[in-house]
Amino acid sequence: MDTVTTGNQAAATAIFDLLKQFITEVIGEEFVEEMDIQPSSSFTRDLEMDSIEIVAFSEKVKAHFGEHIDFTGWLSGMDLDQLINLNLNDIINYISVCR
Amino acid sequence: MAKFAIIVPPLTGHINPTLSLGSELLDRGHEVGWISLDPALQDKLPAGGQLLLIRYDSSDAEKQETEAYLDIITRKSVYGIDSIKFLYEEVLVPLNRYMYAGIREQLLQFAPNVAIADHQMFAGAVAARQLNIPYATSVTAPAAIKVMQELPKVHEWEQQQIVALQKELGWPGEQSLDCSDALTLVFTSQLFFGEMALPDPFRFVGPVIANRKVAATFDWQAFQQMPQPRILVSIGTTFDHEHKRQFFAKVAEAFGDTELSVVVVSDPELFDTVPSNFMIQQRVPQLELLPQLQAVVCHGGHNTVCESLSHGLPMVVIPIAYDQSHVAGRVVRVGAGLRLNFNRFKAHHLKDAVLQVLAEDHFRNAANLIRTSFEATGGVKTAAAHLETLFTRNAPVLAAATTAAY
Repeated sequence: MDTVTTGNQAAATAIFDLLKQFITEVIGEEFVEEMDIQPSSSFTRDLEMDSIEIVAFSEKVKAHFGEHIDFTGWLSGMDLDQLINLNLNDIINYISVCR
Repeated sequence: MAKFAIIVPPLTGHINPTLSLGSELLDRGHEVGWISLDPALQDKLPAGGQLLLIRYDSSDAEKQETEAYLDIITRKSVYGIDSIKFLYEEVLVPLNRYMYAGIREQLLQFAPNVAIADHQMFAGAVAARQLNIPYATSVTAPAAIKVMQELPKVHEWEQQQIVALQKELGWPGEQSLDCSDALTLVFTSQLFFGEMALPDPFRFVGPVIANRKVAATFDWQAFQQMPQPRILVSIGTTFDHEHKRQFFAKVAEAFGDTELSVVVVSDPELFDTVPSNFMIQQRVPQLELLPQLQAVVCHGGHNTVCESLSHGLPMVVIPIAYDQSHVAGRVVRVGAGLRLNFNRFKAHHLKDAVLQVLAEDHFRNAANLIRTSFEATGGVKTAAAHLETLFTRNAPVLAAATTAAY
Protein backbone atom coordinates (compact mmCIF):
# COMPACT_ATOMS: atom_id res chain seq x y z
CA MET A 1 0.00 0.00 0.00
CA ASP A 2 1.11 3.58 -0.62
CA THR A 3 1.80 5.63 2.40
CA VAL A 4 -0.12 8.78 2.91
CA THR A 5 1.99 11.80 2.04
CA THR A 6 1.99 14.85 4.27
CA GLY A 7 0.16 16.90 1.68
CA ASN A 8 -2.82 14.65 2.09
CA GLN A 9 -2.48 14.53 5.85
CA ALA A 10 -5.58 16.60 6.50
CA ALA A 11 -7.62 14.45 4.15
CA ALA A 12 -6.27 11.30 5.78
CA THR A 13 -7.15 12.59 9.24
CA ALA A 14 -10.65 13.37 8.06
CA ILE A 15 -11.06 9.83 6.71
CA PHE A 16 -9.66 8.40 9.94
CA ASP A 17 -12.19 10.36 12.00
CA LEU A 18 -14.96 9.15 9.76
CA LEU A 19 -13.86 5.50 10.03
CA LYS A 20 -13.64 5.88 13.77
CA GLN A 21 -17.20 7.15 13.78
CA PHE A 22 -18.34 4.09 11.80
CA ILE A 23 -16.56 1.79 14.24
CA THR A 24 -18.29 3.59 17.09
CA GLU A 25 -21.66 3.08 15.43
CA VAL A 26 -20.96 -0.63 14.99
CA ILE A 27 -19.61 -1.52 18.40
CA GLY A 28 -21.16 1.15 20.62
CA GLU A 29 -19.93 4.43 22.03
CA GLU A 30 -19.26 3.31 25.56
CA PHE A 31 -16.89 0.58 24.38
CA VAL A 32 -15.00 2.91 22.07
CA GLU A 33 -14.31 5.30 24.93
CA GLU A 34 -12.12 2.66 26.51
CA MET A 35 -10.35 1.74 23.29
CA ASP A 36 -7.30 3.31 21.79
CA ILE A 37 -8.20 3.45 18.12
CA GLN A 38 -5.19 4.34 15.98
CA PRO A 39 -4.65 4.37 12.22
CA SER A 40 -2.48 1.30 12.78
CA SER A 41 -5.18 -0.58 14.71
CA SER A 42 -6.10 -3.89 13.11
CA PHE A 43 -9.75 -4.82 13.14
CA THR A 44 -9.38 -8.41 14.28
CA ARG A 45 -6.51 -8.36 16.77
CA ASP A 46 -6.46 -4.81 18.11
CA LEU A 47 -10.11 -3.86 17.96
CA GLU A 48 -11.33 -7.44 18.50
CA MET A 49 -14.05 -7.03 15.91
CA ASP A 50 -15.51 -10.28 14.63
CA SER A 51 -16.49 -11.00 11.05
CA ILE A 52 -20.08 -9.78 11.41
CA GLU A 53 -18.87 -6.49 12.89
CA ILE A 54 -16.33 -6.04 10.10
CA VAL A 55 -19.05 -6.59 7.53
CA ALA A 56 -21.35 -4.12 9.30
CA PHE A 57 -18.49 -1.60 9.29
CA SER A 58 -17.83 -2.14 5.59
CA GLU A 59 -21.51 -1.52 4.83
CA LYS A 60 -21.20 1.89 6.45
CA VAL A 61 -18.12 2.73 4.41
CA LYS A 62 -19.91 1.62 1.27
CA ALA A 63 -23.03 3.64 2.13
CA HIS A 64 -20.95 6.76 2.72
CA PHE A 65 -18.62 6.68 -0.28
CA GLY A 66 -21.08 5.03 -2.61
CA GLU A 67 -20.05 4.85 -6.25
CA HIS A 68 -16.83 6.80 -5.73
CA ILE A 69 -15.03 3.71 -4.56
CA ASP A 70 -15.54 -0.01 -5.05
CA PHE A 71 -15.08 -0.81 -1.40
CA THR A 72 -16.93 -4.12 -1.50
CA GLY A 73 -14.91 -5.28 -4.50
CA TRP A 74 -11.68 -4.28 -2.79
CA LEU A 75 -12.62 -6.05 0.44
CA SER A 76 -13.89 -9.18 -1.30
CA GLY A 77 -10.52 -9.49 -3.05
CA MET A 78 -8.79 -9.99 0.28
CA ASP A 79 -7.56 -13.36 1.33
CA LEU A 80 -7.72 -14.63 4.88
CA ASP A 81 -4.35 -13.28 6.01
CA GLN A 82 -5.03 -9.85 4.54
CA LEU A 83 -8.37 -9.76 6.33
CA ILE A 84 -6.84 -10.81 9.62
CA ASN A 85 -4.22 -8.06 9.32
CA LEU A 86 -6.51 -5.39 7.87
CA ASN A 87 -6.05 -2.09 9.69
CA LEU A 88 -7.49 1.41 9.41
CA ASN A 89 -4.49 2.71 7.47
CA ASP A 90 -5.17 0.20 4.69
CA ILE A 91 -8.62 1.64 4.24
CA ILE A 92 -7.50 5.27 4.57
CA ASN A 93 -4.90 4.68 1.86
CA TYR A 94 -7.35 2.90 -0.37
CA ILE A 95 -9.89 5.68 -0.10
CA SER A 96 -7.19 8.37 -0.63
CA VAL A 97 -5.93 6.66 -3.78
CA CYS A 98 -9.43 6.33 -5.17
CA ARG A 99 -10.20 10.00 -4.85
CA MET B 1 -33.01 -52.75 5.60
CA ALA B 2 -29.78 -50.90 5.05
CA LYS B 3 -26.49 -50.29 6.80
CA PHE B 4 -25.49 -46.73 7.57
CA ALA B 5 -22.07 -45.59 8.77
CA ILE B 6 -21.99 -42.17 10.40
CA ILE B 7 -18.55 -40.53 10.42
CA VAL B 8 -18.10 -37.97 13.20
CA PRO B 9 -15.33 -35.69 14.47
CA PRO B 10 -14.68 -35.65 18.23
CA LEU B 11 -16.80 -32.51 18.69
CA THR B 12 -19.97 -32.68 20.78
CA GLY B 13 -21.92 -30.25 18.64
CA HIS B 14 -21.26 -32.31 15.55
CA ILE B 15 -22.08 -35.63 17.23
CA ASN B 16 -25.35 -34.83 19.02
CA PRO B 17 -27.53 -34.38 15.91
CA THR B 18 -26.27 -37.71 14.53
CA LEU B 19 -27.39 -39.48 17.72
CA SER B 20 -30.98 -38.44 17.03
CA LEU B 21 -30.64 -39.24 13.36
CA GLY B 22 -29.07 -42.65 14.04
CA SER B 23 -31.73 -43.43 16.61
CA GLU B 24 -34.46 -42.80 14.02
CA LEU B 25 -32.66 -45.03 11.48
CA LEU B 26 -32.36 -47.81 14.08
CA ASP B 27 -36.10 -47.48 14.86
CA ARG B 28 -36.78 -48.01 11.19
CA GLY B 29 -34.93 -51.32 11.33
CA HIS B 30 -31.61 -50.26 9.83
CA GLU B 31 -28.15 -51.05 11.09
CA VAL B 32 -26.17 -48.01 12.20
CA GLY B 33 -22.51 -47.63 13.11
CA TRP B 34 -20.59 -44.55 14.23
CA ILE B 35 -16.98 -44.16 13.06
CA SER B 36 -15.16 -42.12 15.70
CA LEU B 37 -11.87 -41.62 17.50
CA ASP B 38 -13.53 -41.33 20.88
CA PRO B 39 -14.19 -44.50 22.97
CA ALA B 40 -16.47 -42.48 25.26
CA LEU B 41 -18.99 -42.18 22.42
CA GLN B 42 -20.14 -45.73 23.25
CA ASP B 43 -22.13 -44.53 26.26
CA LYS B 44 -23.98 -41.91 24.25
CA LEU B 45 -25.11 -44.15 21.40
CA PRO B 46 -28.77 -45.13 21.13
CA ALA B 47 -29.60 -48.80 21.83
CA GLY B 48 -28.47 -50.99 18.96
CA GLY B 49 -25.99 -48.44 17.63
CA GLN B 50 -22.46 -49.76 17.06
CA LEU B 51 -19.30 -47.87 17.82
CA LEU B 52 -16.77 -48.36 15.02
CA LEU B 53 -13.78 -47.09 16.93
CA ILE B 54 -10.74 -45.91 15.02
CA ARG B 55 -7.71 -47.57 16.54
CA TYR B 56 -4.23 -47.71 15.20
CA ASP B 57 -1.75 -50.39 16.24
CA SER B 58 -0.45 -47.89 18.58
CA SER B 59 2.66 -47.03 20.36
CA ASP B 60 2.21 -44.85 23.42
CA ALA B 61 3.14 -41.84 21.37
CA GLU B 62 0.28 -42.51 18.98
CA LYS B 63 -2.15 -43.00 21.82
CA GLN B 64 -1.16 -39.64 23.14
CA GLU B 65 -1.72 -38.21 19.72
CA THR B 66 -5.26 -39.58 19.68
CA GLU B 67 -5.94 -38.09 23.07
CA ALA B 68 -4.52 -34.80 21.91
CA TYR B 69 -7.01 -34.77 19.04
CA LEU B 70 -9.87 -35.36 21.44
CA ASP B 71 -9.29 -32.02 23.09
CA ILE B 72 -7.33 -30.19 20.44
CA ILE B 73 -9.88 -27.45 20.05
CA THR B 74 -9.89 -26.55 23.74
CA ARG B 75 -6.19 -25.83 23.95
CA LYS B 76 -5.94 -22.46 22.38
CA SER B 77 -8.00 -19.34 22.69
CA VAL B 78 -8.77 -17.90 19.32
CA TYR B 79 -11.06 -15.14 18.28
CA GLY B 80 -12.83 -13.74 15.24
CA ILE B 81 -11.55 -14.34 11.70
CA ASP B 82 -8.29 -15.59 13.19
CA SER B 83 -10.14 -18.61 14.52
CA ILE B 84 -11.08 -19.80 11.01
CA LYS B 85 -7.42 -20.10 10.12
CA PHE B 86 -6.74 -21.93 13.37
CA LEU B 87 -9.71 -24.24 12.85
CA TYR B 88 -8.51 -25.42 9.45
CA GLU B 89 -4.75 -25.34 9.82
CA GLU B 90 -4.45 -26.69 13.33
CA VAL B 91 -7.62 -28.70 13.83
CA LEU B 92 -9.54 -29.90 10.79
CA VAL B 93 -6.75 -30.66 8.32
CA PRO B 94 -4.51 -32.57 10.77
CA LEU B 95 -7.54 -34.29 12.31
CA ASN B 96 -8.83 -35.48 8.92
CA ARG B 97 -5.35 -36.55 7.87
CA TYR B 98 -5.02 -38.54 11.10
CA MET B 99 -8.47 -40.17 10.91
CA TYR B 100 -8.41 -41.04 7.19
CA ALA B 101 -6.79 -44.50 7.36
CA GLY B 102 -9.01 -45.53 10.27
CA ILE B 103 -12.17 -44.33 8.52
CA ARG B 104 -11.23 -46.25 5.40
CA GLU B 105 -10.54 -49.39 7.42
CA GLN B 106 -13.87 -49.16 9.27
CA LEU B 107 -15.80 -48.53 6.03
CA LEU B 108 -14.21 -51.63 4.50
CA GLN B 109 -15.05 -53.79 7.50
CA PHE B 110 -18.56 -52.49 8.21
CA ALA B 111 -19.40 -52.25 4.49
CA PRO B 112 -22.29 -49.78 4.82
CA ASN B 113 -24.78 -49.15 2.00
CA VAL B 114 -24.59 -45.45 2.73
CA ALA B 115 -22.00 -43.39 4.60
CA ILE B 116 -22.98 -40.15 6.33
CA ALA B 117 -19.99 -37.88 6.81
CA ASP B 118 -19.99 -34.71 8.87
CA HIS B 119 -19.26 -31.68 6.67
CA GLN B 120 -15.98 -31.17 8.48
CA MET B 121 -15.00 -34.85 8.08
CA PHE B 122 -13.90 -34.52 4.46
CA ALA B 123 -11.56 -37.50 4.93
CA GLY B 124 -14.76 -39.53 5.36
CA ALA B 125 -16.11 -38.22 2.06
CA VAL B 126 -12.82 -39.04 0.31
CA ALA B 127 -12.75 -42.60 1.73
CA ALA B 128 -16.40 -43.19 0.75
CA ARG B 129 -15.80 -41.96 -2.80
CA GLN B 130 -12.71 -44.13 -3.15
CA LEU B 131 -14.62 -47.21 -1.96
CA ASN B 132 -17.65 -46.38 -4.14
CA ILE B 133 -19.93 -46.07 -1.14
CA PRO B 134 -22.70 -43.52 -1.68
CA TYR B 135 -22.35 -40.80 0.89
CA ALA B 136 -24.48 -38.07 2.35
CA THR B 137 -23.21 -35.09 4.30
CA SER B 138 -24.57 -33.94 7.64
CA VAL B 139 -24.16 -30.22 8.08
CA THR B 140 -24.31 -29.78 11.81
CA ALA B 141 -22.93 -26.24 11.73
CA PRO B 142 -24.82 -24.66 8.82
CA ALA B 143 -23.23 -21.24 9.22
CA ALA B 144 -19.98 -22.86 8.10
CA ILE B 145 -21.32 -23.52 4.59
CA LYS B 146 -22.74 -20.08 4.21
CA VAL B 147 -20.51 -18.09 1.95
CA MET B 148 -20.24 -14.63 3.36
CA GLN B 149 -21.11 -12.51 0.40
CA GLU B 150 -18.90 -9.70 1.62
CA LEU B 151 -15.91 -11.90 2.37
CA PRO B 152 -15.95 -14.60 -0.34
CA LYS B 153 -12.22 -15.22 -0.10
CA VAL B 154 -12.68 -16.70 3.34
CA HIS B 155 -14.87 -19.45 1.94
CA GLU B 156 -12.56 -19.86 -1.05
CA TRP B 157 -9.63 -20.27 1.28
CA GLU B 158 -11.49 -22.96 3.25
CA GLN B 159 -12.25 -24.86 0.06
CA GLN B 160 -8.57 -24.68 -0.97
CA GLN B 161 -7.50 -26.25 2.32
CA ILE B 162 -9.97 -29.09 1.80
CA VAL B 163 -8.98 -29.73 -1.84
CA ALA B 164 -5.28 -29.77 -0.93
CA LEU B 165 -5.91 -32.44 1.69
CA GLN B 166 -8.06 -34.48 -0.69
CA LYS B 167 -5.18 -34.56 -3.17
CA GLU B 168 -2.82 -35.64 -0.44
CA LEU B 169 -5.21 -38.50 0.39
CA GLY B 170 -5.22 -39.54 -3.24
CA TRP B 171 -8.40 -37.93 -4.56
CA PRO B 172 -7.56 -35.82 -7.62
CA GLY B 173 -9.53 -32.85 -8.88
CA GLU B 174 -10.40 -29.36 -7.74
CA GLN B 175 -13.90 -30.14 -6.48
CA SER B 176 -14.29 -30.08 -2.71
CA LEU B 177 -16.14 -33.17 -1.45
CA ASP B 178 -17.14 -31.56 1.86
CA CYS B 179 -20.81 -31.37 0.84
CA SER B 180 -22.14 -34.43 -1.02
CA ASP B 181 -23.71 -33.78 -4.41
CA ALA B 182 -26.06 -36.72 -3.75
CA LEU B 183 -27.55 -35.55 -0.45
CA THR B 184 -26.49 -32.86 2.00
CA LEU B 185 -28.64 -32.64 5.12
CA VAL B 186 -28.67 -29.15 6.60
CA PHE B 187 -29.80 -29.19 10.21
CA THR B 188 -31.79 -25.97 10.24
CA SER B 189 -34.62 -24.31 8.31
CA GLN B 190 -34.26 -21.98 5.33
CA LEU B 191 -35.83 -19.20 7.41
CA PHE B 192 -33.12 -19.41 10.05
CA PHE B 193 -30.32 -20.14 7.56
CA GLY B 194 -31.07 -16.97 5.63
CA GLU B 195 -31.73 -15.88 2.08
CA MET B 196 -28.82 -17.59 0.34
CA ALA B 197 -30.08 -20.21 -2.11
CA LEU B 198 -28.52 -23.65 -1.96
CA PRO B 199 -28.28 -26.14 -4.83
CA ASP B 200 -30.61 -29.10 -5.10
CA PRO B 201 -28.79 -31.81 -3.11
CA PHE B 202 -29.03 -29.59 -0.03
CA ARG B 203 -32.08 -30.38 2.11
CA PHE B 204 -33.18 -28.39 5.12
CA VAL B 205 -34.28 -30.92 7.71
CA GLY B 206 -34.42 -28.68 10.75
CA PRO B 207 -32.44 -29.27 13.90
CA VAL B 208 -32.71 -32.91 15.00
CA ILE B 209 -32.86 -32.88 18.74
CA ALA B 210 -35.20 -35.66 19.83
CA ASN B 211 -34.16 -39.06 21.23
CA ARG B 212 -30.94 -38.07 22.91
CA LYS B 213 -29.91 -40.22 25.84
CA VAL B 214 -29.40 -38.12 28.94
CA ALA B 215 -26.70 -39.22 31.30
CA ALA B 216 -26.85 -36.18 33.54
CA THR B 217 -28.10 -36.40 37.07
CA PHE B 218 -30.01 -33.30 37.91
CA ASP B 219 -31.63 -32.06 41.08
CA TRP B 220 -35.09 -31.44 39.70
CA GLN B 221 -36.53 -30.81 43.12
CA ALA B 222 -34.14 -27.92 43.75
CA PHE B 223 -34.79 -26.61 40.25
CA GLN B 224 -38.59 -26.65 40.66
CA GLN B 225 -38.22 -24.52 43.76
CA MET B 226 -36.36 -21.83 41.85
CA PRO B 227 -38.75 -18.96 41.05
CA GLN B 228 -39.35 -17.79 37.49
CA PRO B 229 -38.04 -16.27 35.33
CA ARG B 230 -35.37 -18.90 34.94
CA ILE B 231 -32.51 -18.66 32.50
CA LEU B 232 -29.88 -21.08 31.28
CA VAL B 233 -26.29 -20.01 30.71
CA SER B 234 -24.18 -22.31 28.53
CA ILE B 235 -21.06 -21.55 26.52
CA GLY B 236 -20.45 -24.98 25.15
CA THR B 237 -17.63 -27.43 25.37
CA THR B 238 -14.88 -25.96 23.28
CA PHE B 239 -13.24 -23.14 25.19
CA ASP B 240 -10.37 -23.10 27.60
CA HIS B 241 -10.81 -22.62 31.31
CA GLU B 242 -9.36 -19.13 31.53
CA HIS B 243 -11.89 -17.82 29.00
CA LYS B 244 -14.67 -19.52 30.88
CA ARG B 245 -13.55 -18.28 34.28
CA GLN B 246 -13.61 -14.65 33.15
CA PHE B 247 -16.95 -15.16 31.49
CA PHE B 248 -18.58 -16.75 34.52
CA ALA B 249 -17.26 -14.01 36.80
CA LYS B 250 -19.29 -11.56 34.72
CA VAL B 251 -22.32 -13.86 34.80
CA ALA B 252 -22.14 -14.01 38.61
CA GLU B 253 -21.79 -10.24 38.80
CA ALA B 254 -24.71 -9.69 36.40
CA PHE B 255 -27.22 -12.02 38.00
CA GLY B 256 -25.95 -12.79 41.51
CA ASP B 257 -28.68 -12.14 44.08
CA THR B 258 -31.22 -10.85 41.58
CA GLU B 259 -34.82 -11.97 41.07
CA LEU B 260 -33.74 -14.25 38.26
CA SER B 261 -33.00 -17.93 38.71
CA VAL B 262 -29.91 -19.00 36.84
CA VAL B 263 -28.84 -22.49 35.76
CA VAL B 264 -25.24 -22.54 34.54
CA VAL B 265 -23.57 -25.35 32.64
CA SER B 266 -20.05 -25.32 34.04
CA ASP B 267 -17.51 -26.95 36.23
CA PRO B 268 -18.47 -25.41 39.63
CA GLU B 269 -14.75 -24.92 40.30
CA LEU B 270 -14.73 -22.10 37.78
CA PHE B 271 -16.83 -20.02 40.17
CA ASP B 272 -15.10 -18.35 43.09
CA THR B 273 -18.40 -17.90 44.88
CA VAL B 274 -21.78 -19.29 43.97
CA PRO B 275 -24.67 -16.81 44.27
CA SER B 276 -27.72 -18.17 46.11
CA ASN B 277 -29.98 -17.92 43.05
CA PHE B 278 -27.58 -20.00 40.92
CA MET B 279 -27.47 -23.70 40.18
CA ILE B 280 -24.20 -24.80 38.62
CA GLN B 281 -23.80 -28.20 37.04
CA GLN B 282 -21.18 -29.75 34.81
CA ARG B 283 -23.91 -31.41 32.75
CA VAL B 284 -27.60 -30.64 32.54
CA PRO B 285 -30.47 -32.45 30.81
CA GLN B 286 -30.76 -29.48 28.48
CA LEU B 287 -33.68 -30.75 26.40
CA GLU B 288 -35.81 -31.47 29.47
CA LEU B 289 -34.82 -28.19 31.02
CA LEU B 290 -35.62 -25.88 28.10
CA PRO B 291 -39.44 -26.14 28.36
CA GLN B 292 -39.19 -24.80 31.91
CA LEU B 293 -37.03 -21.79 31.10
CA GLN B 294 -37.76 -18.26 29.91
CA ALA B 295 -34.49 -17.31 28.17
CA VAL B 296 -31.05 -18.63 27.26
CA VAL B 297 -27.59 -17.05 27.31
CA CYS B 298 -25.13 -18.87 25.06
CA HIS B 299 -22.05 -18.59 22.83
CA GLY B 300 -23.84 -19.15 19.55
CA GLY B 301 -23.13 -22.83 19.09
CA HIS B 302 -25.57 -24.01 16.46
CA ASN B 303 -27.10 -26.77 18.59
CA THR B 304 -27.84 -24.74 21.69
CA VAL B 305 -29.25 -21.92 19.57
CA CYS B 306 -31.50 -24.29 17.61
CA GLU B 307 -32.62 -26.13 20.71
CA SER B 308 -33.54 -22.84 22.35
CA LEU B 309 -35.40 -21.63 19.28
CA SER B 310 -37.21 -24.98 19.07
CA HIS B 311 -38.68 -24.09 22.43
CA GLY B 312 -39.46 -20.54 21.38
CA LEU B 313 -36.97 -19.08 23.84
CA PRO B 314 -35.40 -15.66 23.30
CA MET B 315 -31.63 -15.48 23.63
CA VAL B 316 -28.63 -13.37 24.40
CA VAL B 317 -25.78 -14.65 22.23
CA ILE B 318 -22.14 -13.96 22.99
CA PRO B 319 -20.11 -15.46 20.15
CA ILE B 320 -16.48 -16.36 20.74
CA ALA B 321 -15.05 -17.94 17.61
CA TYR B 322 -15.53 -20.07 14.49
CA ASP B 323 -18.99 -19.77 12.96
CA GLN B 324 -20.55 -18.42 16.14
CA SER B 325 -20.41 -14.79 15.06
CA HIS B 326 -22.50 -15.80 12.10
CA VAL B 327 -25.00 -17.81 14.13
CA ALA B 328 -25.34 -14.86 16.52
CA GLY B 329 -25.87 -12.60 13.53
CA ARG B 330 -28.77 -14.79 12.41
CA VAL B 331 -30.38 -14.74 15.87
CA VAL B 332 -30.31 -10.94 15.80
CA ARG B 333 -31.42 -10.76 12.19
CA VAL B 334 -34.53 -12.87 12.78
CA GLY B 335 -35.25 -10.84 15.93
CA ALA B 336 -35.03 -13.71 18.40
CA GLY B 337 -32.39 -12.16 20.60
CA LEU B 338 -29.51 -9.79 21.21
CA ARG B 339 -25.79 -10.25 20.80
CA LEU B 340 -22.87 -9.06 22.89
CA ASN B 341 -19.18 -9.01 22.07
CA PHE B 342 -17.40 -11.64 24.16
CA ASN B 343 -14.30 -9.57 24.83
CA ARG B 344 -16.03 -6.28 25.44
CA PHE B 345 -19.23 -6.91 27.34
CA LYS B 346 -19.53 -6.01 30.99
CA ALA B 347 -21.79 -7.55 33.61
CA HIS B 348 -24.36 -4.78 33.33
CA HIS B 349 -24.66 -5.21 29.55
CA LEU B 350 -25.46 -8.87 30.06
CA LYS B 351 -28.01 -8.08 32.74
CA ASP B 352 -29.71 -5.39 30.64
CA ALA B 353 -29.78 -7.61 27.56
CA VAL B 354 -31.34 -10.54 29.41
CA LEU B 355 -33.93 -8.32 31.08
CA GLN B 356 -34.77 -6.84 27.70
CA VAL B 357 -35.33 -10.18 25.92
CA LEU B 358 -37.46 -11.30 28.86
CA ALA B 359 -39.53 -8.12 28.97
CA GLU B 360 -40.17 -7.47 25.29
CA ASP B 361 -42.54 -9.99 23.70
CA HIS B 362 -41.28 -9.48 20.15
CA PHE B 363 -38.14 -11.51 20.90
CA ARG B 364 -40.21 -14.48 22.04
CA ASN B 365 -42.57 -14.09 19.08
CA ALA B 366 -39.66 -14.13 16.64
CA ALA B 367 -38.24 -17.23 18.32
CA ASN B 368 -41.63 -18.89 17.95
CA LEU B 369 -41.67 -18.09 14.22
CA ILE B 370 -38.38 -19.95 13.84
CA ARG B 371 -39.75 -22.78 15.96
CA THR B 372 -42.65 -23.11 13.48
CA SER B 373 -40.22 -23.12 10.54
CA PHE B 374 -38.22 -25.90 12.22
CA GLU B 375 -41.36 -27.98 12.75
CA ALA B 376 -42.33 -27.54 9.09
CA THR B 377 -39.08 -29.18 7.91
CA GLY B 378 -40.17 -32.54 9.32
CA GLY B 379 -36.96 -32.97 11.32
CA VAL B 380 -35.39 -36.32 11.95
CA LYS B 381 -38.08 -38.30 10.10
CA THR B 382 -37.56 -36.28 6.94
CA ALA B 383 -33.79 -36.69 7.26
CA ALA B 384 -34.13 -40.47 7.65
CA ALA B 385 -36.49 -40.62 4.66
CA HIS B 386 -33.96 -38.74 2.49
CA LEU B 387 -31.28 -41.23 3.53
CA GLU B 388 -33.53 -44.18 2.71
CA THR B 389 -34.18 -42.66 -0.71
CA LEU B 390 -30.45 -42.33 -1.26
CA PHE B 391 -30.09 -46.02 -0.34
CA THR B 392 -32.89 -47.18 -2.67
CA ARG B 393 -31.69 -44.99 -5.49
CA ASN B 394 -28.27 -46.61 -5.26
CA ALA B 395 -29.42 -50.15 -4.42
CA PRO B 396 -29.89 -51.36 -8.04
CA VAL B 397 -26.52 -49.89 -8.94
CA LEU B 398 -24.89 -51.72 -6.06
CA ALA B 399 -26.64 -54.99 -6.95
CA ALA B 400 -25.50 -54.63 -10.56
CA ALA B 401 -21.97 -53.89 -9.45
CA THR B 402 -21.95 -56.98 -7.23
CA THR B 403 -23.35 -59.13 -10.04
CA ALA B 404 -20.84 -57.77 -12.49
CA ALA B 405 -18.05 -58.69 -10.11
CA TYR B 406 -18.93 -62.39 -10.30
